Amino acid sequence: MSKEANASLAPESALTAVQLASLDAVLNLIVPASADGRMPGAAEVGVPAYLCAEAADALPVLREELDELDRRSNARFARGFAALEQDERKTMVEALRAQAPAFMNRLAMETLACYYQHERVLEGLGLEARPPYPTGYQVVQGDLSLLAPVRAHGKIYRDVP
Amino acid sequence: MKTEDVDVLIIGAGASGAAFAWSMADTRMRILCLEQGDWMNPSDYPSTRRDWEVRMEREFSANPNIRRRPEDYPINDGGSPISPLNFNGVGGSTILYAAHFPRPHPSDFRVRSLDGVAEDWPLDYAALEPYYALNDRQMGVAGLSGDPAYPPHEPPLPPVPLGLAGETMARGFNALGWHWWPSDIAIATRDYEGRAACVNLGPCKSGCAQGAKSSTDITYWPVARRAGVQLRTRCRVREILVDDKDMATGVVYYDEHGVEQVQRAEVVVLACNGVGTPRLLLNSKSARFPDGLANRSGLVGKNLMLHPWGVVRGAFDAPLDSQLGPMSCCILSQQFYETDRSRGFVRGYNMQVIRGFGPVATARMGVARGDIPWGEGHHEAFARRFGRSITIGICCEDLPEECNSVTLDPKLTDSNGIPAPKITYRLSENSERMLAHGLARGAEVMKAAGAWDVYGEGPVRQTGWHLLGTARMGEDPERSVVNGWGRSHDVKNLFIIDGSVFVTSAGVNPTPTIQAVALYVADAMKQRLANLFD
Repeated sequence: MSKEANASLAPESALTAVQLASLDAVLNLIVPASADGRMPGAAEVGVPAYLCAEAADALPVLREELDELDRRSNARFARGFAALEQDERKTMVEALRAQAPAFMNRLAMETLACYYQHERVLEGLGLEARPPYPTGYQVVQGDLSLLAPVRAHGKIYRDVP
Repeated sequence: MKTEDVDVLIIGAGASGAAFAWSMADTRMRILCLEQGDWMNPSDYPSTRRDWEVRMEREFSANPNIRRRPEDYPINDGGSPISPLNFNGVGGSTILYAAHFPRPHPSDFRVRSLDGVAEDWPLDYAALEPYYALNDRQMGVAGLSGDPAYPPHEPPLPPVPLGLAGETMARGFNALGWHWWPSDIAIATRDYEGRAACVNLGPCKSGCAQGAKSSTDITYWPVARRAGVQLRTRCRVREILVDDKDMATGVVYYDEHGVEQVQRAEVVVLACNGVGTPRLLLNSKSARFPDGLANRSGLVGKNLMLHPWGVVRGAFDAPLDSQLGPMSCCILSQQFYETDRSRGFVRGYNMQVIRGFGPVATARMGVARGDIPWGEGHHEAFARRFGRSITIGICCEDLPEECNSVTLDPKLTDSNGIPAPKITYRLSENSERMLAHGLARGAEVMKAAGAWDVYGEGPVRQTGWHLLGTARMGEDPERSVVNGWGRSHDVKNLFIIDGSVFVTSAGVNPTPTIQAVALYVADAMKQRLANLFD
């Protein structure tokens, strides 16, 4: 499926309300909000929309795994995953991480990609939330007098016949 | 449709094809270059968008199997621990290269004489030196003269900033008494020949929106085209045609509409680099060349060299802003470049100090390795690494071995149905020892520089930038594909000017040498125009 085609696919169309709630809970286990409030949690930066646009191929397995998470949660705690306490969620997700490492790794990598290019996150890191071009960045020129011992050592290449 | 015949037909508009076209333009011959890719639009480059880190891993990936643009051909790399990387477009792989631009040493051309391995080149550093210097001026190369690892040369532009990361590593090298020097880098550090100076966008390896990085679409090609060279894009060559006198007569190619065309030429010049060139030759089978064109030696596609590459990463306590600056270009060390048999291997390696990474790559690498956890402690661990990490690349000289090869895949094809290349490659014992030595020395200098966490790994799969040796030059037609000035031993009007002609690989990024050889071959041809095919 092309990216253009996926761009029109809203998260609310791609995932059910229960699936979205479970996904938000999982995302905040991957990257929680910082205690000082400077950094948002991963559920606050639009990961579902990012997944629809950039990782549509992963949506079918995402749905399956979120449903499975909810089913197991109901079986064990008689509540859906999103309704669990944080410790209970963590236990469930750690189990999923052990059972479906490829899926969870993909979800984590896509989440980090979305998270660390988001305006709120970049500003939280003290960076300017902008593309590198056209402004660029200032870089310390550096102290070339550090080369003194290298110059003093002299030639290190071999002569050839 | 019949195309107009030309005197010189160049296949490929990358590093070598552009330099060669520029040099040949003053002959006033009819010169045409066919390029399977298109012109790049710098406003499309990832650095123009905030999601640059993701885009450079996808549509601007250097791996054609990931990038999968229409103009790309797939490469079966399942038989190699290193994936070949490239780019197809005007500028070729210089669009995505790091622009790290070190020359080889004089000893690199005499490995048989000095170290008793592989073969000597049929030319030497002294013969190429004027062409390195010419190329430095035409491309716009930054650096600092006086490096004791090299014969004297004068980069035309001042060096890129060391940054705090470069200074930190410099102190580490000094603490150990090891060589280091600001790298020669093909970046305009001040306004140069109509190009704006570098403003440290960072991700040079995804195209330079500023136009400061010296890719050949903005260096050689504008001048060559003004001088009359034609460049036809979206034209994919299927095969080179040959007559019953073993002379090339032209090529068959698919134009931008997918329509088959024939282009006649007096001279055919291959500039598709170490995978594309043998692929095209092997696809050009005929009754007179049943094993592929210009392949009576049987060496087309053999002796593939990829430069096994290791990385050593270090994390430091102090903030270094290491995510800023030209990402892969800073300083280098050639402390372990020349042969010292006490190390347990022959030849040597270059240590290329690479700066840090952006936030996405920092987080992903950290989480993948377990250095940055999920959940609790994530932000603290990220902060200890972002902007405080430095990488050293270990670029090992790869010696030629016939078992390392480019062949044709029996099933895989490109979108025109042309058989795709298949890579068969493994590291030699010498390379394994060299890489292990480099990783250990890299860790040593990281610690000397003050890193609190150090790890290394190699060979790294996505590092096959340097594609060399698969149509090597030499004077013996039994042991080489082209002669000492790039002419095929078997087909007297067929020339090869790219990395395939390398006899050995040296231990440095090859683009300066690829272009110096292309300029050298152009001059050799111009000096012999009256009897070029004798």
